[in-house]
This record gives sequence, C-alpha cells and structure tokens, in this order.
Amino acid sequence: MKWIKLDPITRKRLERFRRIKRGYYSFIILAVAIVLSVFAPYLAESRALLVWHDGRLFLPTFEYFSMETFGQEPPPAWGIADLETEYLRLKREWALERELYDRELAEIGDAPSALAALDGRYPNRGDFVIMPPIPWDPYQNDFWYNEILNEIQALLDAGDDRGAAVLARRDRLVELADAIETGDIEGMLADPERSPTGNLLGLVRTGAMPGLARLGAVPPTPPDLTRRHYLGTDSQGRDVASRLLYGFRISIFFALFLVIVGQVIGTFVGSLQGYLGGRFDILSQRVIEVMIAVPFLYVVIIMAALVAPTFWMLLGIMALFQWIGITFYMRTEMYREKTREYCLAARSYGASHLRIIFRHLLPNCLTPLVTFTPFAIVGAIFALTGLDYLGYGLPPPTPSWGELIDQALQLENRDKLWLIFAPFGALTVTLVLVVFIGESIREAFDPKRYAKYE
Amino acid sequence: MKSRGEALRDYVIRRLLLMIPTFLGITLVTFTLLQFVPGGQIDQIRMALAGAGGGGEVGGGGGAIAQLVIPEDQLAQLTEYYGFDKPLPVAYASWLWDVVRLDFGESFRYSEPVLRVIGERLPVSIYYGLITAFLTYGICIPLGILKAIKHRTNVDNLTSILIFVGYAVPGFALGAVLSNLLAVRFEIFPLGGFQSVGAAELSFLARIWDIMWHSVLPLIAYLAGAFAVTTMLMKNSLIENMSADYVKTALAKGLSWRRTVFVHALRNSLIPMATSVGTLLGIFLTGSFLIERVFSIQGVGLLSFEAIQARDFPVVLGFLVISSVLLMVGNLISDLAVAFVDPRVRFE
Repeated sequence: MKWIKLDPITRKRLERFRRIKRGYYSFIILAVAIVLSVFAPYLAESRALLVWHDGRLFLPTFEYFSMETFGQEPPPAWGIADLETEYLRLKREWALERELYDRELAEIGDAPSALAALDGRYPNRGDFVIMPPIPWDPYQNDFWYNEILNEIQALLDAGDDRGAAVLARRDRLVELADAIETGDIEGMLADPERSPTGNLLGLVRTGAMPGLARLGAVPPTPPDLTRRHYLGTDSQGRDVASRLLYGFRISIFFALFLVIVGQVIGTFVGSLQGYLGGRFDILSQRVIEVMIAVPFLYVVIIMAALVAPTFWMLLGIMALFQWIGITFYMRTEMYREKTREYCLAARSYGASHLRIIFRHLLPNCLTPLVTFTPFAIVGAIFALTGLDYLGYGLPPPTPSWGELIDQALQLENRDKLWLIFAPFGALTVTLVLVVFIGESIREAFDPKRYAKYE
Repeated sequence: MKSRGEALRDYVIRRLLLMIPTFLGITLVTFTLLQFVPGGQIDQIRMALAGAGGGGEVGGGGGAIAQLVIPEDQLAQLTEYYGFDKPLPVAYASWLWDVVRLDFGESFRYSEPVLRVIGERLPVSIYYGLITAFLTYGICIPLGILKAIKHRTNVDNLTSILIFVGYAVPGFALGAVLSNLLAVRFEIFPLGGFQSVGAAELSFLARIWDIMWHSVLPLIAYLAGAFAVTTMLMKNSLIENMSADYVKTALAKGLSWRRTVFVHALRNSLIPMATSVGTLLGIFLTGSFLIERVFSIQGVGLLSFEAIQARDFPVVLGFLVISSVLLMVGNLISDLAVAFVDPRVRFE
C-alpha cells in the first residue's frame, strides 16, 4: 500500500480486518465474483467464444456470422436464409462429423480412393467450436425438448430413417439413434403397449425408452447436463444458470450504485444537520420523519404505473429513500465532534464552514459510514429482489432473482424445486458473504472493549 | 429547576405537538401522489364526471388491477367524500376533516367501511406479531447473554455464524423454499393460509393445533432474520457493561462473579432492549407483506399491498394514517421506555 498514504489508525484497522479470516475471505470471494460477473458475456452466452473453420479463427462474440458461414442449414420451417449461426448446434454437428468419420474409417480400411471420398463427405471434421461455460444467453428460449422430438418424428414419417438417426445422434439421443439404425424403432412404435399413440411421443410417455424421458417436456425443464442446462430452465425455457449470473451482475451493481449515491447524500445531509444544528436540524428531521413514514413501496408502485421503470429510474426512486439511514449516525457523530478543540482551532483560523465539515470533521466521523455500508448493500439487494418478486422491479425480461422466486411460487411450478433452490442459493450465498464482510469491518473498525475476569 | 415529572410532561406534550406537522406531511404527500396514479378509480371517476364513460384504460403497473364499474350513486358519494371536483388543497382539507372524525370512507373492493376491513385482518397480524416478538426476545436475550459471557469462544463464533446467515437470508425467500419443499414436495405442512378451510367446525383444541400447524413455516420465515440485531445488541451491551468501572469495583470488593454479572451488569445492559419496544406496535399492524404473500396469510400487510395494486385508495390512505400514527406513537413509547428504565436520561 505504498501508493496511498494511510494514517496509522486506518492501516491498523485494515490490518485487523485482514486478520479476521471469515470476513477477509468473504471479501476476496465476493470481489472475484463481481469481477467475473463483469465478464458475464463470455461466461454465459449462446455465441461461441472461438470457432475454427476452413483454416481460420472466428470470434462470434464480436462479429455476426450467418448460418451460411459455417455451412449450417437454417430450420426449413422458418424460410429465412440469413439467420445467425446456432453455435451449440454447430458444435454438436461437427462433433457428429468426427464420430461418423471415425466409424466409417474403421469400416473402409485404407483404400486411398475411399479415403478421399470420405474426406469429401466430412469436410468439417477437423473444425471445432469453443462455447462459453454456460452456452446460453439469459433471454434465449430453449424449446429443444419439444422440437427435437417433432423433427425426428417428421423425418421418420417422411421415410428418411438415416436423417432421423443422424439428428438423434447429433443431440446425444444414443438409444433412439441406435434403435432407428437397427430398425428396431418400427417394432417399438407399432407395439401399443410401448407407444399407444404409435409415435415417438408415445414412447416417451410410457417410458419404454428411458433415454427419451426428458423429451416432450414443456418448460420449466429440470437440470440437464447433456443439454448443458446446469440448473434447468425457467417457465419460458430460459437457462436458469445464465439468468442467475446476469441477475447477480444486475443486483450487485444496482446495490453498489444505490448505496454509493445514498451514502454520499446521507453523509452530506447528516453532516450539515449535526454541524449546523438549530432550525435546519429540526426542519430536516421533520422531513426525514415524513419520508420514513411514506411507504417506499407506494411510491415505487405509483411511479411504475406512470412509466415503465428502467435500471436508472428505479435506482433514482430508491435513492430518494436510501440516503436517510446514514444521516442519523453522521448527525450524532458531527454533534460530538464539532465541540472538540481542533474544530474550534480551525474556526479561529478562519476556515469556512464547508472546509471545517469536509476537511477536518468528516475524516473523524467515518466509522459509522464504513461499518454500515455493507449492511446497506444487503438491504438494497433485498429490496430489489423483493420488488422484482412483487412485479414492481426492473421490467421483464430483465434477468432477476426475485422474478425467479415469483415463478417458483406459481402454483404450477411449486413442485419444480430447481426453480426455487437456484435463486435462493444465489441470494443466500451473496448476502451471507456481504454480511460476513460487514461484520468483520465492524469488528475491525469498532472493536468492543472486553474485560475478561478469571 | 423543574421536577422530573414536570419535565416528562412537557416533553410528552412537545413530542405530541411535533407529531402534527409530521402527520400532515405524510398524508399530504401520499394524498397528492395518489392523485397522479393512472388507471385508478379516481381517474375513472374523473372520466365519468367528464362524461367519458366508466371504463378507463388501465396503465400497465405490472400487477393485476381490479376494474370496477362504479354505479352512479356511489360515484357521487365518492366524489363528495374525496372532493375530486374541488382543487387539491380543498380536497385534502375536507378529507383530513373526515379522518380526524375517524371517518375513513368505504373500501372500493369490499364496499365496507375501511376500519372494518382493516379490523378484520388485524387478529391474524397481531397473532404473528405477538409470537414473533415473544420468541425474538425469549431467544435473543438469553443468547446475547451467553455470547457475551463466552465471547470469542467456539460457542460465540458458531452462533454468530448461524444468526448472521439467518440475517442474510431474506425471510420471504426462505419461506418460498420451505413451502415448496416441505409443504408441496413432502406434504408435511399446509401450503398456506391462516387455518384450514373447515377449521370453524373443529373443536377448540383441534383448531388451535390447526392454526399452530399453519404458522410453523411462516414463523420460521419471520424469525430467521429477527435474531441477529437484537442478539448482537444484547451481547455488545453486556460486554460494554462488563468492562465498566463499576463492575471492576464490585468484583474488587469481593462480590461473586455471578452476582456481579447477572445482577449489576445485566440490569444496565438491558436498557438498550427498551429502545425497540415502541416499534413492536408497528410490527403488530403491518407484518411483512412479502411473507404474507408467499403464504397467502390474510394479514394487514397483504391487505395494504393488494389495496395499492387494486387502487383501493380509501384502504391505502386509511392504512397509511393508522400505520404512521402508530409509528410515531411507537417512537415516543420507545423513548419513554428508555427513560423509564434508565433514570439518567434527561428530557430536553
């Protein structure tokens, strides 16, 4: 800490904070999480980080690439040619090429002409796609569970068994792919015991093919590692893990901005109250009393009815109320501190009031500000989550923990436990970290004198 | 020199007088704000008055907004009560005059007097408020004492972690997890509500059991976050007193450690506990509408939230008047309680 000059007391306090392991490690973990969340677009995103194709590198996070670029075929039903590449699908398609190439290579032996033909059929087998750890962006609706079944069924109905098998193998439906290749599937579909409706959906419903159990489901779907929905999807088929990550980013930065704005205003007002006292103090105390009693939720709801709140608007409305808490502490501190000799000395030298407050008194009044700020952050995250839960927070489809809790409490989703465990876990871990940090800061800045009697 | 009794009387009078401008401020702010809410009945009344017909468009507020068609005679009555045809200051003054005479008007949604609507929800809120307060103090004070005596031992550290984790977890989120897990998945507890549907026909004991069974999960949600503040207040207060000079003196004079701590130090360290006595008043009334909403408990908090959503302004304003009065009176009671247990407090 050579670049900042710290006075010995502050250095001692920071040293004391570092020695409180619980708080210190919480601080490091949270700091890392916040920094990581800034890079969320590289951690949870449907675009690939890197694509290697035709001997060159592509960076899809920075540039748009249509499906044609990589020879991907758009879904026939859509009728649109210029669509952005579906990178997760692309990854699976190329992986399949490798798999089929290896399989056929083992079959044909080493005749050069056959090898050349094989190379021509699988031109992309050496290419690769690197996806982010969570290959979903927070707004993307994944209806694969329903669609893939229909697509395979359509191919089967059209008599294209090979195409159906390839599709099934691409999406790791190994059991189904094998059954189609061996021709067993026809017998299974014809058997009313195993498929009463005579199609694939029937197979799923009776459970005759356990590998298909996840299919045909409508969102919310449970956690599924092969589909890479680590925490399942929500009721609109959006990836829960991705939404949690972006929700964390929004919540934590919202809380940080809100608390910074609130503490700056609150410190200013509280300092003036304590320093000036008298009429200003009494009047502003009344205003604060009014503001405490006007339920903040009323104001937010009324504002939300007037205009759809954005991030900054909601921040502004909440900041109207956020600053109040710290004023009480700053006021008391100032009251005490202004009677000290050094303050009188500064005044007798002719220092202006503002200079006395901010240059001389404030540095000695910072303990409550530092110790209460972490708890203010907890309160801010809590308030935002509560508002989102009630439907008066950030407008949909903003990723939000409160909105997930609301989804989990809908009657039809109540037994889908991943919907509630995910936001609850994220909320608990985050808030516990902040509380531990706050508790340690308090301990470091304001240790209780303790006498031990033996 | 005034006697303590006179000083107290003057202090109370001064505080009561200071409440008046605050009360006016609160109600004026809210009354004015409510004038601007689009899609509410006031808008509809205005439109009806302007001859535009009853069904106004409804502003998107996120929540469900009850659309009520207001009959002609009721419309006239509402206009009369709120004075919408008059300018804002006149309307506010006439509304305030009604409130002073305890006439809060009639709820739009329930077509009943506001006081009765709120009164019907009150027992549920008081039930939860009382139990929460009772359990909070019953657990926090002994726990705080234990933690102070065992400062920096394993017991202290472990309970610290526990209560701070409890403090960090939002009660309504915990309630949501508990109800989805224990009520829906494992079907151990009821899903929500204050009592079972047919509870009125049960015997007295069975009914009490039913209500208790319904309140287990909400109470956990209420209590999880309630311990930290009070326990730490108790602990820090006792620690501070234990290192005070009078405790050293008592020990030096040969008083037993037990007696010193539990009689002398403890009594002084209970003083800060009195500061939160007054706020209990507010807790009884409001509860947490977040938790009430999760468990569909029909308490006053949920009523007020639903009233805002449904633009039921008489209930919104009535709730606000009552809760702000209770808040102010509660603060006064807190200050008086501290003065009552601590004779050193001076009224200035």
